Amino acid sequence: MLKINGLQKRFGGLVALAGVSLSVPDRHILGIIGMNGSGKTTLLNCINGLYVPDAGTMEFDGKELGGLPVHEVARLGVGRTFQVPRIFPHLTLLDNLDVSQLQTGRNANERYAQSEYWLHKVELHRLRHNYAEELSGGQQKLLELARIMVAKPKVILLDEPFAGVNPALAQLLIAIIRDIPEQHDCSVVLVSHDLTSIYQLSDHIIVMNEGAILTEGDADKVRNDPAVIEAYLGA
Amino acid sequence: MTTLVIQGLLNGIILGVLYGLIGVGLNVIFGVLRVVNFAHGEFLVLGAYFAFVLMTALGIGPMVSLPLAFIVFFAVGYALYFVLIPRLSKSDDPETSSLLLMFGVSIMLGAIMLLVFEADARSLQLDIEPVFLMLGGLLIPTVRLIALLIALVMIALLAYFLYKTQVGKALRAIIMNRDAVRIVGINAERLSAVAFGLGIGLAAVTGVLVAMVFPSFSPFMGNDYTLIGFIVIVLGGLGHPIGALVGALLFGITEQVSVVFFNPSIATMLGFGLMVGMIFIKPTGLFGRQALR
Repeated sequence: MLKINGLQKRFGGLVALAGVSLSVPDRHILGIIGMNGSGKTTLLNCINGLYVPDAGTMEFDGKELGGLPVHEVARLGVGRTFQVPRIFPHLTLLDNLDVSQLQTGRNANERYAQSEYWLHKVELHRLRHNYAEELSGGQQKLLELARIMVAKPKVILLDEPFAGVNPALAQLLIAIIRDIPEQHDCSVVLVSHDLTSIYQLSDHIIVMNEGAILTEGDADKVRNDPAVIEAYLGA
Repeated sequence: MTTLVIQGLLNGIILGVLYGLIGVGLNVIFGVLRVVNFAHGEFLVLGAYFAFVLMTALGIGPMVSLPLAFIVFFAVGYALYFVLIPRLSKSDDPETSSLLLMFGVSIMLGAIMLLVFEADARSLQLDIEPVFLMLGGLLIPTVRLIALLIALVMIALLAYFLYKTQVGKALRAIIMNRDAVRIVGINAERLSAVAFGLGIGLAAVTGVLVAMVFPSFSPFMGNDYTLIGFIVIVLGGLGHPIGALVGALLFGITEQVSVVFFNPSIATMLGFGLMVGMIFIKPTGLFGRQALR
């Protein structure tokens, strides 16, 4: 369970997060939507330790995340992907996944089996000996997802996983993300501008505006919320 | 004349491989940490003195002092990383600060060596028989051949480490994307310390080989080797470990084959001319900006 309470982050005079509180129960998918600059990515950056919040608490499985360096947050089981994938371009796909298991203590056979499993899952297995830079943008997103999943995280933070991905790969991504909570005992925090995917996948949705939570609820509630329609959809 | 050219070529390969080890160490440190290790040559000379002390005080030969030098200097580099490098990240310009810092370390180490070992040139007294090997008209100093074989084994081990082990792959990964390494749970600071230790360890081992191959060494020679290291990484490509080897072979062969045709001053000039030419023609070096594969 990830619990965030009163999270604040400022960049000079700009308030990026103005006291955000939320919780992500085990095996749930939390969707976060909001306009550009509403604080979605800043929220993820605070959770995984890239930014140090100015105030508030972040608790994951009973442990406080605030102040922990990025690698320690990851070792607690918090995985993260980015809008622009941060892969290792000049390593092969297999090596990308192998490096990501350095902290797991698995032996070479276990690591290889785990890598093979995820490369099959994201349908990149036939390219496993290719260099990551040879993949398309959408395939790099799939590789990045596989790379965090091989470490068996307990929660993953996905930042715009569908941005710039062609419809076929997007459908594959949706299918994989949908299965993650139950098949891999892992929660998902999904930030996206793609409302259709968010509505399809999320158990709970948060709408952010100017660093704060504008409204939250299930897909139906959010879809019909007048404040969301006005602030987010502009109608 | 043909025999002389082949002799020069062979000498160039032997020196090139040794120079390559200097460049690889520098490049591993720069690639991972963006630190310009101006003290690399001093660590190399310290490695030579390490072998000298082991031999004169304990009667331990260079074959044993080689792995010992790597272990001891790896540990020194690993610890030194935590003393010196993390503070640089607080600077506005960490790369320039690292150059100045390591320049200071270079002067300090040179002064310490001068204090401890004095200014006299030293040498390793090796009893290797025969002193020369005659191969098809080529006269090869046996010790140089041994040093070449050791250097080649070290390069093979280094390549295996970087390309086949998980930690080696992580070291290459951190050169590509430092943030991504942290995001997958790897302690980038510890991995950087490994890179620094590896670079310093390689410098020390190269120092032992240099002490075997060249007639003498002194506390003043550090800068010369640092300069050679910079030349080969300019030729091969900054931050590319294997590129340094190619650059070093090019430099070593140019220098040694030139000696056959010109006087040594011109040969040295040609070696440096190669570097200047590379900067004009391909400033990133032969392997610069190429995939770190």
